[in-house]
Amino acid sequence: MVFEQLAGNLFQGLVLGAVYGMATMGLSLIFGVLKVVNVGHGAFVMVGAFITFWLFSALGVNPIFAIPVAFVIGLGLGLFFYYTVIQRLIKAPELATLLATFSIGVLLQEVIKLIFGSEFRGYNWTVGKIDLGLTVLPVSKLLACLGSVGIAVLLYIWFNRTRAGSAMRSVVEDSEGARVCGVNVGAAYAWSFALGIGLTVTSGVLLTMFIPVGINPYMGGGYTLKAFVIAVLGGLSSPYGAFFGGLVFGLIENGSYTLFALLPGVEPFALTRFLSFVILLIILLIRPTGLLARK
Amino acid sequence: MKNQAVKYYPMLPVLAAYAVLFLIGRNMSGMWQLVAMLLFYCALGQAFNIFLGMTGYVDFGYVAFMGVGTYGMALAISRLAHIEGLGAGIIVIGFVLAVLMSTLLSIAVGAVALRLRGAYFAIATIGVNEGFRFLIEGARIWNGSEGIIFTAQLNQILGREAASALAIFWADVFVLTIAVAAALVTLIYMRSKIGYALTALREDEDAAKVMGINVTKFKIIAFITSASFAGLVGASSWALKTPYVFPPEVFEIHYTIEAIIIVLLGGAGTLLGPLVGGLIYGISKYYLSIFIPGFQLLIFAPIIIVIIVVFPEGVVGMLKAKTRNTAAGRFIV
Amino acid sequence: MTLLQLDNVTKRFGGLVAVDHVSLEIDTGQFVGIVGPNGSGKTTLFNLISGVFFPEEGHVYFEEVDITRMPPYKRAPLGIGRTFQIPRPFSSATVRENIAVGAMFGSLGKELSVDDSMAVADQLIEKLDLATHRDKAAGSLTPVEKKMMEIGRALAMKPKILLMDEAMAGMHPSDIDQMVAFTRQIAEEENISIVAMVEHIMRAVIGMAEKVIVLHQGAKLVDAPTQEALKDPKVVEVYLGGSGGR
Repeated sequence: MVFEQLAGNLFQGLVLGAVYGMATMGLSLIFGVLKVVNVGHGAFVMVGAFITFWLFSALGVNPIFAIPVAFVIGLGLGLFFYYTVIQRLIKAPELATLLATFSIGVLLQEVIKLIFGSEFRGYNWTVGKIDLGLTVLPVSKLLACLGSVGIAVLLYIWFNRTRAGSAMRSVVEDSEGARVCGVNVGAAYAWSFALGIGLTVTSGVLLTMFIPVGINPYMGGGYTLKAFVIAVLGGLSSPYGAFFGGLVFGLIENGSYTLFALLPGVEPFALTRFLSFVILLIILLIRPTGLLARK
Repeated sequence: MKNQAVKYYPMLPVLAAYAVLFLIGRNMSGMWQLVAMLLFYCALGQAFNIFLGMTGYVDFGYVAFMGVGTYGMALAISRLAHIEGLGAGIIVIGFVLAVLMSTLLSIAVGAVALRLRGAYFAIATIGVNEGFRFLIEGARIWNGSEGIIFTAQLNQILGREAASALAIFWADVFVLTIAVAAALVTLIYMRSKIGYALTALREDEDAAKVMGINVTKFKIIAFITSASFAGLVGASSWALKTPYVFPPEVFEIHYTIEAIIIVLLGGAGTLLGPLVGGLIYGISKYYLSIFIPGFQLLIFAPIIIVIIVVFPEGVVGMLKAKTRNTAAGRFIV
Repeated sequence: MTLLQLDNVTKRFGGLVAVDHVSLEIDTGQFVGIVGPNGSGKTTLFNLISGVFFPEEGHVYFEEVDITRMPPYKRAPLGIGRTFQIPRPFSSATVRENIAVGAMFGSLGKELSVDDSMAVADQLIEKLDLATHRDKAAGSLTPVEKKMMEIGRALAMKPKILLMDEAMAGMHPSDIDQMVAFTRQIAEEENISIVAMVEHIMRAVIGMAEKVIVLHQGAKLVDAPTQEALKDPKVVEVYLGGSGGR
């Protein structure tokens, strides 16, 4: 009985993990190409969440259609912040970009708070449930999972089969060589950052499809930490590693929640969040470049 | 001997500023509340500057040390109140416990995080405050999410009147003392080998190593110092002014954000920077809250971004550059 | 007395062998030139001696002590000083403070107070002719001035061996002569400093080195007194043709 429940929970963990993984791909992309750690990551996820919420409650738009809207807005935000802030900090010490991305996150938080207020928002998009044997899954969650996998696949195709994507990859491997081959390295950096942000904002849509409640300007913080744990699990510079890291994290999170719930005298939710932090520290100690990363 | 005294001249403007603040607060009616807030921000900034400003590393989980310090005082008061004869000595024990606990936490965090460079260190610290909060709530330590309320015990130890005077005046005087102490320690470090080692490692960590500097040792010194002062600030400004502590309140990243703003605005790595930054931020927040309560960060976040990009040395940093070889320059450090 | 000894030292980066089973000896007070074309492993060799990385094989001995795995900050007080190919000043600190830092953490560091270190710095600033820049931020100096300051900073450590990495690259020939004369003078005065220069520029090597070690693709090609090494056909073949006579 417990085993069945555990298996069901683990499956749900994988489904959630796909969404978590997708949410981290932007972070890894930005670090891989620009060597910039986007400490304001969670705020962009939050923006995606609000886009979904607003489109649904104000305009009645189905969250699936929020995906392209969020992506385009994300690209725009990414380009904006790249050209106004990030580009000017290329020569500055690392501390500067850490603090700058952090402050951008705070700024987004405050702007959203100004527009929407700080109350918790939610929306109700019921499209039924589906019985998968092991467990029963709301269709919205399934769609979120499929959407995440789909985007990961699209990203793979883009990087490996298109010119623009290959140009971006070449900049990571050897920026001087790429420049010599005629790649516009400056533009590659800008669009990589934009793409990373676009992915991150889009993930906000998928996350709210999964969890359509608790949307508020301060929700980003928790996702920033999760994203870092996942990124460090899967390889700080590899978007695909991030995706698989997300799957692993989803499993661990759900699994540990189930196990903690069995222990008397503890709060499983809080302890699970503490555990993810401990995992982060352990991995940073043994292998900061990521457990799944190649050398 | 005169040589030695000259080194500490920069404390004069610091002492003057706090003296002025104190006098304004005491003598102008209704101003003490503002002064108390300014003292908090200056102390917070001064403490945070010892690590961020001097090493160039950012600890995003900094508020954890304040929270732990608050718990230290709270635990001392709530658990020892029943012991006869200790009286106000419990407050002293509370401070000692606050420093002890924040130092221990900083050693635990530092042992892991300080082995990491730059961005990895920042990532490692990002969850410290939340992590510790969830540990307290999750494992139900120290009453878990219910927190500790110790109003009754505080009244028992000091008597109602004294407890009240503590909350509205003496706690703030403690904060002032902490701010001055933190400034003094900053100056002492700056004038000693510790300061030079920190400057070297901040500018170029690898070159510093080759010059014979044990960078990890000095990072740890700065980290622990900064953390213990944070513990003291939490103990006096939070525990002694509002006699309860709840995990979600004392581990909020909001305070780390404010600390970052104060230090960057004033000038990271300078002595006067946190004082100037604390005053500007505190006064702005106070008056902004009259018109647009709760939105001071909306104004300050873009300001900080501009500072990072255009004026990374902050107000005092720019002043220092202008007054470099003048007489006034000796006091602007 | 053998001051520095490398015994079969090998350093690999992935598949690339940067330093290939190199053995060498440097005596107290000896001036040695280490030369070789770009990519021959000179800077890696220096990094192995100063402790920036550790070799996969072989040992490094300083004054007969095995320092192969000793962290860099412990090697400096033993007497290993170093300058960098591209100067690495502590930019926001003054020239005086930069040089004083060398004294504070160098071989006499334990006995020197901050004030003592500043005095040492002042003396060196005089010798290096940097007096006009004494209180300027090190980051504002010209590249040549930064190189001089770096030398001062390394000398302030009272090293027994000074590893100078391309100290004279980009300098005017007359400046090179001056640097050579200055370095010789200091090294002889201090009696115990060795200057091991890493140079493309033959002019400086001829002016200073008693013996020359030539590296090629990470391995030692020649290890002989200067005049002999210059005439060695292997050396001529490898690279002398391009920069000979400069």
